[in-house]
Order: sequence, then structure tokens, then C-alpha cells
Amino acid sequence: MVVIISNHLFNILIMERKSIITWIILLILTIVSGIISIQSYTFIPIIILLFASFKFLGVAFDFMELKKANTFWKVILISFLVLFNSVIMILLIN
Amino acid sequence: MKISKIDYKNVYYPPGGILLWIIIFLELITFGMALIAMVYYGKQEPDVFHESRLMLNVSFGTINTVILLTSGFLMALTVHQIKLGEILKAKKFLIGTMLFGFLFLVVKSIEYYAKIQAEIDLGYNTFFTFYWMLTLFHVIHVVVGLVILISVYFSLNKKENETLVEDSEASAAFWHMCDLIWLLLFPIIYLIF
Repeated sequence: MVVIISNHLFNILIMERKSIITWIILLILTIVSGIISIQSYTFIPIIILLFASFKFLGVAFDFMELKKANTFWKVILISFLVLFNSVIMILLIN
Repeated sequence: MKISKIDYKNVYYPPGGILLWIIIFLELITFGMALIAMVYYGKQEPDVFHESRLMLNVSFGTINTVILLTSGFLMALTVHQIKLGEILKAKKFLIGTMLFGFLFLVVKSIEYYAKIQAEIDLGYNTFFTFYWMLTLFHVIHVVVGLVILISVYFSLNKKENETLVEDSEASAAFWHMCDLIWLLLFPIIYLIF
């Protein structure tokens, strides 16, 4: 039973290596964001927003397979993210 | 399982379907504008927003982000297995996806219960008006997403399976949209003020 489950998990690890790496990076960025939010430096919100943007792109391009889509969809999603973050950052800095 | 060859490079066929991607963009723009409004009001009342943010439990927000990302990861594996025709494996991953979705709602309920006990409601202050409106609207999306996933699970159970890969992808895209919205909400509501 243990051998079957181990083989099963090993196969998944091999087949889904890219998604597993993306998932681990997303979790690390989330935990780091939570930890650094305690600090009161002025640049911390910008770093948190950058981490959130990386996570957003990770989910969209890997989990939602946007990397396979037409360039139009990639450009429009990245444009939304850049516009959203720019407005938030301008509001935060001013 | 009906499997058809989809040309994702065609502008009219993004993974999940063009109609769902239009909905995803409408949702992102709606939540995005509300979050921009929240930051704008945060600049008008910086002390209120800072003190209110400190009243939130960052651990709950972080745990819920980890839960949703894990659920999204399992959903991606589900779609991959469906494409390979491995329905049994797909069903296992789909159950995992739904369990993490329910876990998100459980953690959110605990957080809401603590807020209601402390009499922090929609009218408490501007920060909490945004907090309740945005997070409750997101919770509604998660509940709708779970209903869609349950219907996909039962359609995979049928002997004469009529489910198209496109249907599974569209359901997955809706579920991932809940992740995307949460990834915008979490840093702004829980972390930056």
C-alpha cells in the first residue's frame, strides 16, 4: 500500500514538476509578504504589491495556462496588472 | 469524455473560453476599482485605516491565501488529468480542490465570527465598510465556484460522460478567478495600511 502510494506521488512529482515549483514559489511569496508586513519601512507596501503581482501572474500563466493563449490575452492581463499597481503605488506615494 | 483539439493560439479560444475570460476581466476591473477607491480613502483617513488594519488577523489572511493557492494548484492538476483521460485521478484532485475551498470558507467564517462578536460591522468605519463589502463579495464567488465544481464532479461520475474538456477548463478558470481576486484583495486589505 505504502509502495503504491509512494509510486503514485513520485509519478505526480515528475509529471507536474513545473506546477509544483510554481505552487511552492507562490506559498513562499505569501508567507514572506505576511512576515515583512510587520515592518514599518515606507518601501514595504511596494514590495508586498510586487510579490502579489508575481503571484497573480503565476496563477494566470501557469495554473490557468494563459502561457498557451494568444498574445492578446497575455498583453491585456499584464496591462491590467501594470495599470492597477501603478495607480495604487501613485496613491500610496503621494 | 469528449476530447476535442483546441487551438489556444486562436484569439477566440483562450483556455477556459472567451466568454469566461470576458467575465474574468469584468470582475478584475470591478474589484480593482473598488480597491483603488479603498486606497484613496485610506489616504484621506490614514490613522483610521492603519488602526483598523491592525485589528485584522494577518495570520487568517495568510492562511486563507495558502489555502486558495493550494486549491488552485489542485484544480490545475485536475484539468491536466482530465486532458490525459485519467478520470479517477482527476476526481481525487477535484475532491482536494473542493476540500480546500470549503476550508477557506471555514477560516473566513471564524474570522467573520470574531469580528461580529467584537461588534465590528459594516458601519464601524470606512475601512471596515470596504473590508466587509469586498470580502463578502469574494466569498459569494467562492461559493458559486464550489457549486460549479460539485456539478463537474458529478458529471465526471456519470458512466456516459458527456463532459467536454472545455467545460472543465471553463469551471477551472472560474475557480482560478477567485484566486486572482483574492491575490488583489489580500495585500491591500490585510497588509499595506
